[in-house]
Amino acid sequence: MSSTAAGAIDHHFDPSTSTGIPNKKLLMWAFLASDCMFFGCLISTHLIYRLHPPPGVPSARSVFSIELTSFSTFILLMSSLMMALAVNAIQKGNLKSLRASLLTTIFFGCIFLGCQVYEFNNFVFEKHLTITNSILGTTFFTLTGTHGCHVAVGVFWLMLMYIRTFQPRDSSRDLRWFLCNALHIVAFIATILLGMRLVLGVVRGMEATGVSAATLAHFARGYFAELLGIVVSLGLLRWLAQPRGAVGFNETNAIDVEMMGLYWHFVDIVWIVIFTVVYLLEYI
Amino acid sequence: MSATAHAATAGSHELEESKFQIYVQIAMLLAVITGIEIITVYLPFAVPILFAILVVFSAVKFLFVIFFFMHLRWDRPFCTILFFIGLILGGGTMWALLRLFGAEASMPLSSAMLETVRWAAVA
Amino acid sequence: MADALAKSDFLGREEQAAPKPFVLWRPTAKTGLISWLTTVDHKRIGFLYGISALFFFLVGGVEALFIRIQLAVPNNSFLTSTQYNEMFTMHATTMIFLAIMPLSAAFFNFIMPLQIGARDVAFPRLNAFSFWTFLAGAIIVNLGWFLKSGAPDAGWFSYAPLSTRTYTPGHALDMWVMGIQLLGVASIAASLNFVITIINLRAPGMTMMRLPVFTWMTLVTAFLIILAFPAITIALVELMMDRLFGTNFFEVSNGGMPILWTHLFWVFGHPEVYILILPGMGVISEILPTFSRKPLFGYPIVVFSGASIGFLGFGVWSHHMFTTGMGTMGTAAFAFTTMAIAVPTGVKIFNWIGTMWGGHLQMRTPMIFALGFIWLFMLGGFSGVMHAAAPADSQQHSSYFVVAHFHYVLIGGSLFSLLAGIHYWFPLMFGRKVSEFWGKLSFWVIFCGFNITFFPLHFVGLDGMPRRTFTYDANMGWSQGNLVATIGAFILGVGVAIYFGVMIYTFFKGERTRHDPWDARTLEWSLPNPPPEYNYRVIPTVHARDNWWYEKHHQAEVSAENAKHAAEEAAHGGIHMPFQSIYPFFAGIGILIGAIGIAVIDPNPDPHVIIGRKLAVTLVGLLILVVSVYLWSLEGNEGYHLHPEDEEGHS
Repeated sequence: MSSTAAGAIDHHFDPSTSTGIPNKKLLMWAFLASDCMFFGCLISTHLIYRLHPPPGVPSARSVFSIELTSFSTFILLMSSLMMALAVNAIQKGNLKSLRASLLTTIFFGCIFLGCQVYEFNNFVFEKHLTITNSILGTTFFTLTGTHGCHVAVGVFWLMLMYIRTFQPRDSSRDLRWFLCNALHIVAFIATILLGMRLVLGVVRGMEATGVSAATLAHFARGYFAELLGIVVSLGLLRWLAQPRGAVGFNETNAIDVEMMGLYWHFVDIVWIVIFTVVYLLEYI
Repeated sequence: MSATAHAATAGSHELEESKFQIYVQIAMLLAVITGIEIITVYLPFAVPILFAILVVFSAVKFLFVIFFFMHLRWDRPFCTILFFIGLILGGGTMWALLRLFGAEASMPLSSAMLETVRWAAVA
Repeated sequence: MADALAKSDFLGREEQAAPKPFVLWRPTAKTGLISWLTTVDHKRIGFLYGISALFFFLVGGVEALFIRIQLAVPNNSFLTSTQYNEMFTMHATTMIFLAIMPLSAAFFNFIMPLQIGARDVAFPRLNAFSFWTFLAGAIIVNLGWFLKSGAPDAGWFSYAPLSTRTYTPGHALDMWVMGIQLLGVASIAASLNFVITIINLRAPGMTMMRLPVFTWMTLVTAFLIILAFPAITIALVELMMDRLFGTNFFEVSNGGMPILWTHLFWVFGHPEVYILILPGMGVISEILPTFSRKPLFGYPIVVFSGASIGFLGFGVWSHHMFTTGMGTMGTAAFAFTTMAIAVPTGVKIFNWIGTMWGGHLQMRTPMIFALGFIWLFMLGGFSGVMHAAAPADSQQHSSYFVVAHFHYVLIGGSLFSLLAGIHYWFPLMFGRKVSEFWGKLSFWVIFCGFNITFFPLHFVGLDGMPRRTFTYDANMGWSQGNLVATIGAFILGVGVAIYFGVMIYTFFKGERTRHDPWDARTLEWSLPNPPPEYNYRVIPTVHARDNWWYEKHHQAEVSAENAKHAAEEAAHGGIHMPFQSIYPFFAGIGILIGAIGIAVIDPNPDPHVIIGRKLAVTLVGLLILVVSVYLWSLEGNEGYHLHPEDEEGHS
């Protein structure tokens, strides 16, 4: 049985289940209920230690940068929008729109992670707040770090989902499509890691010496290997993304994208709570 | 069961078209609320008022994301119930822990006592 | 139902499945080692949980006997103090996480899908993954016995700061931490599966209020697990960060508060004890009606009480901490909620008595164990209510009175009910029945041995004997009680040996039973003993609570219905079965290696080495896990179809 008309599948009703709710959707909601307890306990730990700090704990206000955090909050919100649009796209069978939205979600997710890496580095090396030297550092880095790990897992999952949309419908018995898959994953991971390294390098360079032709040239020399690498991996991604015949990914796979979307939105709402509780409340 | 399901499918087609608009509008709203939150911390009001404002705004953002982006508004109520069980239990546990640690008897050592402990650990 | 399955856009389609490369090879063996490693059949997975649980039960029992030998006489030197600490830590950890919980899981897996008229759980490969991760956790927690670092010895609750690196250096405790984390992952994954299965995979007509009580208790327990385990996950993460990276969660000199560990542990720990007892209560709620020849008295209120116990169980955790100085309000609040939770428990007991009242009681072995359960669990409940009074608890806390209380509820309650369940469902699972004489003999020896062991401990505890202390002086007045308890423990050991011996004998050579030997009431008994791989040839239509009883008394109506559905099912291509898969097993191996790597990481690594050997082990484990899960997602879930007539050679 196959649906040819876009939107012909009712994505909210599965007649084979007792409630009509698709199994995977219910699974993800149950998991998110569990994750609420998980983050609840972690946020409780942070709050308890902020409400009853020992003497000598550094002032959070002097360490935090509200501008950076506001920027990354905004970025994560936008990535949430992109995720919702991605789910919407695949539910209508629009593969191109899905891929664009997934890529944008991944891109914003990586910006968020990059901001966190920058922030952590700044706190450790410039503000001298480490995970071991004070209780503030311990709870802050553990809480935001755990959230960051959730984001990273989400980005990884999104990447795999994006690559999955290229799986040919008639994958034959030899290894070709499988190796293509593996290559796609490696290229994508390389792009993300190299991209982060480059952007963070640029930012640090700009902070240290300002922007000018000389500093840019110096930067290009120092990061030559990374620049070359990212050109290669981006090229690979472009080549692998070319249409190569019918793909085995359509409306019937929307439930998997929706499931991933629920996870990604959850990561966003946890950040909404963390932004208020960990950052904003320090300023009032 | 099937009659209502068909009706729901028919209705949801129009909804699909406007969902894009809804999502974008909500994203704009969330961005605006975030901006207001950031401004709020610099306002010269009393701490409890600022706290209340921040909590309310965060809750509003939270609820918009779960009911619209995460689709709870259009899904079966059971999904909402399932998630809220976890949310309420997590929130309740957090509240109880904060009350327990806020009790007079639970106050951590004073700085004088802390010094004594530090010396004992080093010795 | 067959129509619904055919119309669903969410199930994989065999016709649409394209040929795949060799790495996504489909194991199809139905016998032999590979068939066990790749099984996704809930009955086989239940069996694996069961034999693992019974094995670890014996391990935990030996650890208990060592404790009792050490305490038989004052100033004994059978065990050193460190060995004694290892014994009581591992006895508790083994019995709770590796014996009772998996034994309950064995029944959840085997029986629950049969009771709701399903062919398998909602996510069969996730189910297999849960088992292999459980086994990985069981291995890690017990690895210390074979290593120089020794077994974990900080108690099953591992209170900070004793459990921090300052006071417990060495990798024994790291093994315990990672082992419990894995057990948590396994439990949560399995419970998510059970929740979805019970909510979504019920047979047509099986409304929630027609579910067998055992299935209801499975649902409540599953919710407890998914909501309580995150607390201990966080607590263990914080402890591990302290031990590995020198963070300050429980480091007093930098503002840490060890009492936070205690709170987080018991936020998990209290729901955990309800996780241990509710499945057993579900089993009893099936056995009593069957052997009283009457429906369960007050079904709605029994279900509601079970759910209330689950929910209220999250609000009582600090009754384990009455002596930690929480202040008047906190102590009073928790004493109140603890008293409150005794109410639904009592309601259930009255309903069980009401079930038996006026019934035609058949004193078979499962019934005898069930009666033992009611009496012993009540006694455990009485001492529990005594604990709920906070002032009284200040004397009882950390004494043997507590030990007596929880062994009454855990052995008298959980264990007796699960032993009853084994006898009850043995005919269904294996087609053989345990002999009445030997079953009842094992019951009486266990019952007597158990009471001789633990009843004196109430008095010894009130007389002041502290827990977790490897020896005591001769002039304390505890010597006689302890000696009697040790003798009782050995009698209990003999009883357990008889029970096990009889079970193993029956498994291989026991008397074969006819179909539905107990003339039972619930759907699982409508299947052949043992059930075929696909469970139901035709998914039943449910008309009432205790639907098998209904079917036995409305045979004509049911046959006509089943014939119609069988034709529909055949028209749609037969019974849809899930494929077997090796990836849950590989993922389990990855998680085992990764967790061991984390547990043995050196907290003060050489700064010149970027990736030491131990970190490399962790990364390799993680890589295996990620690749396995990825291939698992790629292999698809189309499944295959089979026709029962072809399988059995007759229709």
